[in-house]
This record gives sequence, C-alpha cells and structure tokens, in this order.
Amino acid sequence: MPDPLYRMARAEALRIVHLDSFIAVFHRDSGLTHLLAAPAPEIMATLGEAGLSRAALAARLAAEFELADLDDAALAERLDELVACGLVAAA
Amino acid sequence: MSEKGEHEGNRGPATTRRRALMLGATGAVAVVSIRPALAQTAASVAHCEIPVPDPGRAGSYIAADGSLVPPGTAGAFPPVGKPLKGEDVKVALSGGQLPGTTADQSRAYTNYIRRLQSGTSGFTCFASLQMPRG
Repeated sequence: MPDPLYRMARAEALRIVHLDSFIAVFHRDSGLTHLLAAPAPEIMATLGEAGLSRAALAARLAAEFELADLDDAALAERLDELVACGLVAAA
Repeated sequence: MSEKGEHEGNRGPATTRRRALMLGATGAVAVVSIRPALAQTAASVAHCEIPVPDPGRAGSYIAADGSLVPPGTAGAFPPVGKPLKGEDVKVALSGGQLPGTTADQSRAYTNYIRRLQSGTSGFTCFASLQMPRG
C-alpha cells in the first residue's frame, strides 16, 4: 500500500489554546475539543496543510527535533489517533 | 537597517538548539477528545482510561511508591487486569480507594498514576482529571 499523504485540518477550522504541557484544540467542523499532549501538536504543526507522507514526516521531525525514539510503528499510531479524531486527514 | 536584520536571520543553524521530542511507546495515547454534551459534566472523565502499568511495560509489578518492578517482587502488586476508569482514578486521587483493591494496593496504583509522564499511556487522561471544571 502506498504511503498516504497526511494533512492537518484547515487552520481556520481550528481554535488552539496552549496550556502548560499540552494544547486544547476546538475543531469547528466536528464541534469537538481535543486535548493534545506531545508529540501530537508537533506532528500537526510539521504536517501543515500542505501534507507529508509518513516517511517525509519522520525525516522532517528528525531534522527539527532531538528524537529519542524514532519508531515507525509509534509514529503510525500517533498519526492514526490524529486521523481518528479528525484533526489530520489521510489521503 | 534591513541588511543587518537579514544578516542576523542567517545565524539560525549554528545557534538553534533542537528541542527534545518523544514519539512515545505504541499503545500510548496523545489525544483525548471531549464531546460537547459531556464537556460540562463530571461524566466526561469516565470516558478515559489509565492502564496500570503502561502496555509497553505489561507484566511489571507496581511497588508501593508507584515505581515498576519485575514480576513477583516481594511487597509489590500485580498489574491491574482492566484499565482503570477516569472516574475511579479521580476518586482515588482525592483520597478514596480504587474499587476491588486493598488500601495498600490502591495507594501503590495511585502513586504510579501520579508519576505518569507525557508519552505514557494514560497521561492525557490523568492530566484531564486535574483540570478544574465549570
């Protein structure tokens, strides 16, 4: 299966509030609020609206952050969580 | 003065210190969703769960201070069969006891939960239990 392209939800559909160690995101499209702990906010910000494949995302995160545990299965799970709650779309 | 600004902007790579980031173990949860109908009621916390211990350390026993120790360690308690419900954890954190546990056992599990860190399963649930409501 080809690596899908992951995109952050439209920025204008999101209302983001930074709390101490996590962020609260109100998603206007679904009317739901989500609490995100690291690394979810960093993943969303890195994906942006343009979108990245999982491999490209891993490379971008590794370039931007000191990643202690770059594990493809864990990254796939974090992405699945974001897709499941609608904050990231996979196509 | 714009030239000076550009020059300073070029210092980037040499002076930037990269921030540490953990992707977390498989089975950890980084997102908790709050449904609007429940957001104003205490019921919303019942919807999140905290596995004890984290699935990444499945099988470990929990010592009285909440640290994870090898299975069978004397004085430590076995893993909790089913993930703990947010509602039960909230009661335990405010001095109550987890259902189906002895007082010592409940204290050990609660100590484990207090030590949860970002990236560990249950952390976001634990964090949301701390948030004032209303």
